[in-house]
Amino acid sequence: MDQLIWPAWPLPLGALLPVALALVLTALVGEAGRRIGLPRVSGYVLAGIVLGPLALGWFDANDLASYRLVVDFTIALILFELGLRLDLRWLITNRWVVAASAGEMALTFALTFGALWAVGTGPRVALAVAAIAVGTSPVILMHVTNELRAAGPTTDRLLALCALNVTVSLILLKLLVGVLHGTHAGWQLALLHPLYLLLGSALAGALIAAAYLGLRKIVDPTSEQGLAALIALLLAALALLSALRLPTQLAPIIAGAFIKWRDPRPHLWPQQVGTVGGVLVIVTFMLSGAAVSAGELFAGAGVGLLAILVRALAKLGGAMAFGPVSGLDLRKSLALGVGLMPLSILALLQAEDVRLLYPEFGDRLLPIVVAMAVVLGLLGPIATRRALIRVREHRRGEHS
Amino acid sequence: MSLETFASSRALSLGVELELQLVSTHDYDLAASAEDLLRVMARKDVPGDVKPEMTCSMIEVSTGICNDYAQVAEELEALRAALTAAARRLNIGICGGGTHAFQDWSERRIFDKPRFHYLSDLYGYLAKQFTVFGQHVHIGCPGPDAALYLLHGMSRYIPHLIALSASSPYVQGKDTGFQSARLNSVFAFPLSGRAPFVESWAEFEAYFAKMSKTGVVESMKDFYWDIRPKPEYGTIEVRVMDTPLTVSRAAAIAAYIQAIARYLMIERPIRLSEDDYLVYTFNRFQACRFGFTGSYVNPETHEQRSVADEVEASFARIEQHAIELGCDEALGELLRQVRDRRNDTAWLRERHGAGMPLPELVMDQCGRWMGGGAM
Repeated sequence: MDQLIWPAWPLPLGALLPVALALVLTALVGEAGRRIGLPRVSGYVLAGIVLGPLALGWFDANDLASYRLVVDFTIALILFELGLRLDLRWLITNRWVVAASAGEMALTFALTFGALWAVGTGPRVALAVAAIAVGTSPVILMHVTNELRAAGPTTDRLLALCALNVTVSLILLKLLVGVLHGTHAGWQLALLHPLYLLLGSALAGALIAAAYLGLRKIVDPTSEQGLAALIALLLAALALLSALRLPTQLAPIIAGAFIKWRDPRPHLWPQQVGTVGGVLVIVTFMLSGAAVSAGELFAGAGVGLLAILVRALAKLGGAMAFGPVSGLDLRKSLALGVGLMPLSILALLQAEDVRLLYPEFGDRLLPIVVAMAVVLGLLGPIATRRALIRVREHRRGEHS
Repeated sequence: MSLETFASSRALSLGVELELQLVSTHDYDLAASAEDLLRVMARKDVPGDVKPEMTCSMIEVSTGICNDYAQVAEELEALRAALTAAARRLNIGICGGGTHAFQDWSERRIFDKPRFHYLSDLYGYLAKQFTVFGQHVHIGCPGPDAALYLLHGMSRYIPHLIALSASSPYVQGKDTGFQSARLNSVFAFPLSGRAPFVESWAEFEAYFAKMSKTGVVESMKDFYWDIRPKPEYGTIEVRVMDTPLTVSRAAAIAAYIQAIARYLMIERPIRLSEDDYLVYTFNRFQACRFGFTGSYVNPETHEQRSVADEVEASFARIEQHAIELGCDEALGELLRQVRDRRNDTAWLRERHGAGMPLPELVMDQCGRWMGGGAM
């Protein structure tokens, strides 16, 4: 009886206290970053790396797996919001934006693959890294643009290109995994599986959109009930997507874009989503460090740095070549290229998911992606922030 | 610096300037898009001009020198169509309205041009708070003395113009209770309000020379008066109007001013007096606060009536001139709206009052302006 009344010693605190402490620490590092003029996200990434196996070891890959739902939910929430920024009407009116995006992605994919292949990384790993390199971190971009309350032509393009990059990067990697399936299980699977993933995601996206538009008629999206409904909708969608073994990232983007297409009214988040989203972003970056171990980081450092360099050249080149025809001047095109630099948690998850299916292949892929995500997770947000301030599209932040 | 000589212009010629809001199509808050829009517009062949304004979320479009309502309407429509096409390409929303309903003034950036930086240094936060949007109408004058007669005569019609054009009930996300809250921002400037009561250009030159010697002003641009002479154009410039929500309303208001100007110039119906200005600020306030239902005190008889009654009466006085100028049909439509007590502020309040959130209201404003909706 006593055992149930009096506390045991040492106190059985479980996993909550370290998580709470880590959360505070991450928030504090983010705030410290802000005070010296860095984006908060850079601080979160740094704290995540320090808390992970690389330094303090508070989290490891197992923790990432057990908190995966939180991370997936955060990313789904952000991708849904990013999808709402992907205005298809605009892309139809100004097809040069799509051309700029296609050019920039093609260049990134081709150059990254070429460079990695040239230094002797096997063609499949080179293809996988190239596919991941096409992507841009939606979490970082949304966070930095929200932090600056950025708005204007560069910001619009940055977010549209980010949404397209994420979508194409995910599809390219799925296709590559399809090829891996083909090697292991025959060509039908290689063809059918990516097709299932794509069509399934599109259908799921349309369903989420229809449900959201229906809910919007019943509850005010800016009210407390609206927040509950939105969270419930995304959680249900995640449950369904996981059960159907569909990727959890594509459907939210598609849903967002579909909603903006059907109902061009402003779909603005209630204040609470910003707060909830902010906490989740901190948690996500805190956990992302769990994927970064010293061995992997150093194993992938050389090739990773080469990939970073080539990717940077390709994104800049693509943006500079195609930005002006889409209506940006050269200075803003440069800012667009610089703004596309960040790569982080989503890239890590993409690599991690490949490793779950094909451990041996994943073990060769992950170190390179870890090195890229660490560098571009820390420096990428700084680049994006500077670029947006440089073209004076920030509504908050530095004086002007 | 001395005052420029009063240029010659065709009497009753007409020029219209409209300051417009540039908003993001995501949240419908103001966005820093002026530079890009101006760059795209520079390649287009449009009548008149498109220029930057104080902050990066506003532009000013102007017609060339026009003869009549039809030409103003045609040029404004051509500008509107070209701007709309450019804005769609850039993913920007463009709208009228004297204020943005919920923008935060502290988030505005000063447009990168020496004069705007100078004004920002001089006026501090007032410069960013000056992100308000007006319609200016120039009327050609046969000579400088006639310009001053027209200026003081037109000052009696300021409440009419405020009530007709009012489209700024919301400031910083709140209903101010005013029909035109924009003019309160203009009033913060030290050299705003009414022009001094002088009736001859020689006296005006003397006044300007004295002001210039104090070091307070360098050019006519430093005066933010409701109506000011514009010697380099040979015009007077009426500046009290909010930018209407449609170009057709802007053209109709310009036509109304032209008809009043013709009536004043030809009939010379009033004897000017400094005492006219005794009720000027009161009348102006009533029109800003209550629009058509405000009270108007006749400067001569001191009789009080509603602004709407006074506006209706003015339509009767200028009817013949409107016919001569070919704008009687447009003014007829405007008069019908006065009788219904309808202006753009009523349109805005009706929607927000029915529960439409402000960002959606701004989206509808953009639809109205870009889609070219009727008056």
